Amino acid sequence: MGMGLWGFLAVLSAAAGGISLFVSNPLITSAVWLAACLAVLGLGGVLRQLLKGLEDLERYLKNPDCMPVSKGTWSPSFWESLQKWSARQQTQAEETRQENSRLRLQLQLLERQRTWEQAVLDSIRDAVLVVNEDNQILFANPAARELLNPDAVPEHFSSLETIETAAALREKIHRCRSGRIRHVRHELALNVQGQQRIFEAVFSCLPESSPNSGGVVAVLHDISREREISQMKNEFVSHVSHELKTPLASINAYAEMLVDGEAQDADTIRQFCSIIQSQSLRLNRLIEDILNISRIESGLVKVNRSNHSIALIVRDAVEMIRSYAQEKNITIHAPAPILYDQACVDRDMISQAVINLLSNAVKYTPAGGSVTVGLEVDEAEGRLRVTVTDTGVGIPPEELGRVFEKFYRVQANNHMAKGTGLGLNLVKQIIETVHGGRVFVSSVVGQGSIFGFELPLALTGCAAASVGGSS
Amino acid sequence: MAERKALVVDDEFHIVQVVAIKLRNNGFEVFTADNGSQAYQLACAHHPDIIVTDYQMPAMTGLELIEKLRKNPDTADTPVLLLTARGFAIDPQQKESLRVAACLSKPFSPREVLHCIEEVLAQRAGV
Repeated sequence: MGMGLWGFLAVLSAAAGGISLFVSNPLITSAVWLAACLAVLGLGGVLRQLLKGLEDLERYLKNPDCMPVSKGTWSPSFWESLQKWSARQQTQAEETRQENSRLRLQLQLLERQRTWEQAVLDSIRDAVLVVNEDNQILFANPAARELLNPDAVPEHFSSLETIETAAALREKIHRCRSGRIRHVRHELALNVQGQQRIFEAVFSCLPESSPNSGGVVAVLHDISREREISQMKNEFVSHVSHELKTPLASINAYAEMLVDGEAQDADTIRQFCSIIQSQSLRLNRLIEDILNISRIESGLVKVNRSNHSIALIVRDAVEMIRSYAQEKNITIHAPAPILYDQACVDRDMISQAVINLLSNAVKYTPAGGSVTVGLEVDEAEGRLRVTVTDTGVGIPPEELGRVFEKFYRVQANNHMAKGTGLGLNLVKQIIETVHGGRVFVSSVVGQGSIFGFELPLALTGCAAASVGGSS
Repeated sequence: MAERKALVVDDEFHIVQVVAIKLRNNGFEVFTADNGSQAYQLACAHHPDIIVTDYQMPAMTGLELIEKLRKNPDTADTPVLLLTARGFAIDPQQKESLRVAACLSKPFSPREVLHCIEEVLAQRAGV
């Protein structure tokens, strides 16, 4: 600004100088010079005032709270308008700032909500799938991706049409869409990683007002296990019914024969009565088995622990089962006595477990075979191990992991013998739940099986009677 | 009149025995078996007038035994009475197609078994 003023003065001086070159009268020349000087002085004052006003304005704009002291350059109404304008600007700026904060907060909340919803959908074990009207996948939670195609890379997992195993699913989605059914429940079987699984699926059409009208939401709940349990329960009822009714049938039939006088001599009468008695005991044993499992599971069983020689328990159990084995022409080899094999156990329960293992071995071993009982003590580990090895039909590897399950019976060996599927489960409950031991099994189809259990050795004193599990 | 022959099949010894005694006491010649294969052989060898068999037996069920009997012309027409302890009824269609004469549920009455056998044999004799 200063440079401009000096330039202007230089121009004015040059103009005065120029005039003085053309005008020869010194008076006129002096007057021109004087006028030029006065003009320069006057203009300089105006310009200085203007400069100060601009500087005041600049300071005010930089800091509107600080009103300049000298207001001479600008009129009071100008300052008033400027103040009002400035206040409006400040208000608008404040509003914009608040709006920005609100929007930022809303964005954060939306993001948090989205993350939360995603986490909820991702953590649902049921498969949740959303497709549009062309069966393009709009959403699939991890369970749905796992179900439909766990190996697919995301970009190849975009359409239900390309998923081979989803044919049944497509058909139900199509029916739901074409019928415009709000919600419909179906049961469907899908092949999941080579295994047939049963699902209870609910299909819901997206509302017509939604952006994806024609879309369908499918929620699939795997009920394969429930189905299996239900089937096992039905089979159990059937087996238990058979097992309970068989001794009951004998009791009823022999009692009726006695009433009808079909037993014609004292020996026959005695024989019939004896059968009724033995079948009553058999019925009672079966009921006890069922109740024992139930009691152990519910923690209500009374456990009478004391130190016992496991070899003696095994020996007595072998003697109890020997006649049954002889009937089937099966040889039983008992273990050699061991110096120290004491364990803190409930004698009756462990005896029951050994008898169950032995009777199972005899049951599933063809005539002429053998059952060998082994007993080892690992003093270093503080454990003893009982094994029952048979030369029986064996168990297929895929069923081996389930033989200790309640009511489970090996399908392939069902024809060999009757049973409720409770015996091995009772062994597991007695050894693991009550005594804190471990059961195990290994088998080769056609060669035989090894069932057994491990128990801790009684290295210290033995707790008194207790109720419940292995505490 | 020749003695009537019956074959009793059950893997439970006591059941076989009680039915056999009841039938013997009532004039039947009785053969017994504790499994389906043995029963089939006895049926082929002795041509019984009636067979009483348990349904649930290891190796060969009662229905499988009847199926096998029906395929052999010598035993195809032998009436069979089925004893069952199953918790559910035998499929009526299967019962009809295998021509099961009657089904009795365990626990059963030997009196009822005898009565049922007499009825079946009377029907066959056209009485």
